[in-house]
Amino acid sequence: MIDYFKEYFDFKALFLCVALVTLGLLSVYSATYDVGAGATFQKQVMWAGIGFLAMLVTALLPLKSLQRLAFPIYAGSLVLLIVVLLVGKTTSGSKSWFGVGGLGGQPSEIAKVAAVLALAAFLSRTTTSLSNAKHLLIAFGIVLVPSVLILAQPDLGTTVVFSAMLLPVLYWAGAKNFVLVAILSPIIVAAGALFGTLAFLFSIGIAGVLLYITRENRFVAAVAFGLTLAVGLSVQAVYERMPPYQQKRIDTFLNPNLAPRGAGYNVLQSKVAIGSGGIFGKGYLQGTQTQLNFIPEQWTDFIFCVPGEEFGFVGASVVLIFFTALLLHGVNVAGMSKNRFASTSAVGITGILATHMLINIGMSMGILPVIGIPLPFLSYGGSALIANMMMVGLLMNFYSNRKEH
Amino acid sequence: MIHDEYFGTPERRKILTGIILLIFAVLMVRLYQLQLLYHGELDKKSEENSIRALVKEPIRGYIYDRNGKMIVDVGPSYTVMVIPAEFDRSNLPFLSSILEMEPRAIEERIARARAYSPFLPSRLKRDVDIKSLATIEEHLPLFSGISYQVESKRSYPTPAHAAHLLGYSREISDAQLSQVGEYYRQGDVVGIAGLEARYENLLRGEKGYEYVSVNSRGQIIGSFEDGGRDVTSKEGFDLILGMDVDLQAFAESLMTAHAYGGAIVAMDPKNGALLAVVSKPDFDPAIMSGVTPAEMWGRLNTDESKPLYNRATLTRYPPGSTFKMVLAAAALEEGIIDERYRINCSGGFRFGNRVWKDLHVHGSTNVIEAIQRSCNVFFYQLMFKVGFEKWTEYGRRFGFGKPTGIDTGEETSGLLPSIEYYDARYGKGKWTAGFTVSLAIGQGEVGVSPLQMVRYIAALANGGTLHQPHAVQYINNKRVGKVEEIPRDAASVGLSARTMELIREGMRRVVQEPGGTASLARIKGVVSAGKTGTAENPHGEDHAWYVGFSPFDDPRIAVAIMLENSGFGGSKAAPLAGLIIEKYLYGQLRRPTPNAAPIKRDSTKAITQVILEH
Repeated sequence: MIDYFKEYFDFKALFLCVALVTLGLLSVYSATYDVGAGATFQKQVMWAGIGFLAMLVTALLPLKSLQRLAFPIYAGSLVLLIVVLLVGKTTSGSKSWFGVGGLGGQPSEIAKVAAVLALAAFLSRTTTSLSNAKHLLIAFGIVLVPSVLILAQPDLGTTVVFSAMLLPVLYWAGAKNFVLVAILSPIIVAAGALFGTLAFLFSIGIAGVLLYITRENRFVAAVAFGLTLAVGLSVQAVYERMPPYQQKRIDTFLNPNLAPRGAGYNVLQSKVAIGSGGIFGKGYLQGTQTQLNFIPEQWTDFIFCVPGEEFGFVGASVVLIFFTALLLHGVNVAGMSKNRFASTSAVGITGILATHMLINIGMSMGILPVIGIPLPFLSYGGSALIANMMMVGLLMNFYSNRKEH
Repeated sequence: MIHDEYFGTPERRKILTGIILLIFAVLMVRLYQLQLLYHGELDKKSEENSIRALVKEPIRGYIYDRNGKMIVDVGPSYTVMVIPAEFDRSNLPFLSSILEMEPRAIEERIARARAYSPFLPSRLKRDVDIKSLATIEEHLPLFSGISYQVESKRSYPTPAHAAHLLGYSREISDAQLSQVGEYYRQGDVVGIAGLEARYENLLRGEKGYEYVSVNSRGQIIGSFEDGGRDVTSKEGFDLILGMDVDLQAFAESLMTAHAYGGAIVAMDPKNGALLAVVSKPDFDPAIMSGVTPAEMWGRLNTDESKPLYNRATLTRYPPGSTFKMVLAAAALEEGIIDERYRINCSGGFRFGNRVWKDLHVHGSTNVIEAIQRSCNVFFYQLMFKVGFEKWTEYGRRFGFGKPTGIDTGEETSGLLPSIEYYDARYGKGKWTAGFTVSLAIGQGEVGVSPLQMVRYIAALANGGTLHQPHAVQYINNKRVGKVEEIPRDAASVGLSARTMELIREGMRRVVQEPGGTASLARIKGVVSAGKTGTAENPHGEDHAWYVGFSPFDDPRIAVAIMLENSGFGGSKAAPLAGLIIEKYLYGQLRRPTPNAAPIKRDSTKAITQVILEH
């Protein structure tokens, strides 16, 4: 009986997800302990409950219906993204949230799941070929349309996560190295452009060499290189048009000492919080940085400081280990799945969670720029929690149906 | 899917797994860096972030007299505090009317407090009266950001003022604040004058700190570690003076009763401890504690009687005949004369084409009689026998022309003319021996402070030891819980016993024998010695001097009295000395009424022509 369940039920994903959500609830409780803890924490508990149900429902859906519903869901998410731009509420500079009465959410979170499924559904069609430029463009388009709509909110962080998922998915789906390099090159050059002329030239060099090595067709390679250059050159122009708070975030990442009390303040305080935790931490609810609200809105993007400060190296490692175990499990599920839609989706989900984890924890520890994305399962926020738990639900679904073609 | 030879290959699976492990590794390394390698540094930053120290004011040290009577006490004082960030400006007019402060003055204080910290309480007004405080307390919920704290201020339980000696403390000025550095902050009280200033570092104690947790906006949210790290403030050390506060009060009352301006300094000849230091006119030091209204402060500063001026240590009048013992000592010690040496006083002394007159015709006079009767002619001619240079040297031996090293604050060096001085002043060869004739009887350019005089007399009283005059004898060191004596300097004036004996005999006769100039200083049952003097004052009535000690055989008190514009020392100053010595030796007066008739004068108008140091 137990063996039967083990065979068809993904206890591992369930355990890791529940563990991370539990750590998240503890952290949110601590971070909001003195600022009306009750309301925020209770809401998050409620979201976690809803998320848990959503996860189980997702896990139990028939795989084939999921595959069939991928495009309608995707289309629905695009509609929501457009609606939110028109009638959404502006919170901290972004028009990303809308709601009716007490209920509401961020459509971009649902759009992430929808886009993964749609992309996977498209790539797993027997007629799709990644050598076909048109098909490749469609694959791009599936990710690009919601990305642009989210960038218009503007929400840079979610856009980055969206774009980042494309790469592992295409890689998994069998794209040639040249395709991956062609995607990666503009990103490298764009990043280089932000670091000044020398870095810009250096990044162009790297992109050029990579494109040359992986080329199959000189003409295509040349076009890719041209596009890369164009992206790099236009990054400056885009940078100019960014809202000042995002410009500042980029500037202070490049030079953290620029404004210790301004944009760099969060990172500084976050580093202080994590660093002061030491090996075993200051104890639950004892973190001075956390309890004294040194980090604004800590319960959202900077939630990692709470386990870091209050549970120390031991606690923060546990969070990282659980996360990594879940990601590795995602790759395993992808490898085990006979169904290509499931397999591709599993990689997309893993990619999204990995990008979130890397960027969020990386920025909390001051090694990546502060682009506001939450830490899955831990950060406060209903839509994200539900969407993330649904993604785990998908992984559980794929695990259960891994032998299905 | 047409193109599927690369789909989900084991190789690609390994690469993805590798990337995930790489991300994990990078984050773990960074975590290790922050939490283990940089832990110390970041932990310190975190503590600095969230903990603020609130200053707890120490209690300033007390001051006692030689008999353990408290002279300077500490009483409660209420200070209104403000937290700038929480202050509501709409309350400004109401607050202004309660505190009796201009709205602009309040705003200025708040602006300065904000510069210190917008979220920590700073002093808005010190020493608020209890009525205003009650009004504030009543409306406290209305006044956001306003609170009060109990602090201490000086109080003076005895009738004695001793204002110039004790000095006073006031709120630290901006100029001082920039000089004295880290310990003080705006609103702190610091000793400004007298003992309060000189012993500031001992009296002030040590500030305590109460550690509180603050949030990121600096607002206090509670005590830190339940006060486990708080540092209690340490009380300032007490000063135990050589002063007899009853004698001080008595001496002050004598000066007040006669409306005299001038100074009385009494010293214990055995060790240089000051028994009383009076300078009149003076002020009540109580008006300096707490907050002195600007108008009162202005009046003290502009009053032409100069009540803030310490006449005991800063005036520089000629000593008159009280200085004759210096010349006598030089002549006797150098072997130029002895007691058998006599001159015939004819009531005048001719030098060149000038004649210096004496008050009386004294006839045949030796050195003892010359002191007893204050014969000018004897000393005029003695000056030529001894020589100017020796006179200066013996003046120096008695400590004239240089600071005494008193521990109460400013003092004058006085002026002891010397060959170098005249050379510098008039030019070499441009002055003659005639310049020095007046110096023989303590007139002319020689200038001394009452403090220098009492030390000189104490040295004659104790057989030749020049003590460093001092107000403070012991310190109650509260850190080690011991009363410690402060070591003081002493030097010998280097006179033989014989010289001392002759001079002292002259001084005894001044008081005790018929023909002495200070019979009014006589006390029943005790033998005293002394010398009168009159400082010629080209600007008005002469200043009266009296110096003396008692009892003659075992002196316990030396006293110097200088009365401005009071004429002859024998009639005005000597009686006061008698009363003071009697009071000190017996603890009370043994005669029914003071034998000097009170003369009422308006002291604020009477005192003019104070020779200022600068």
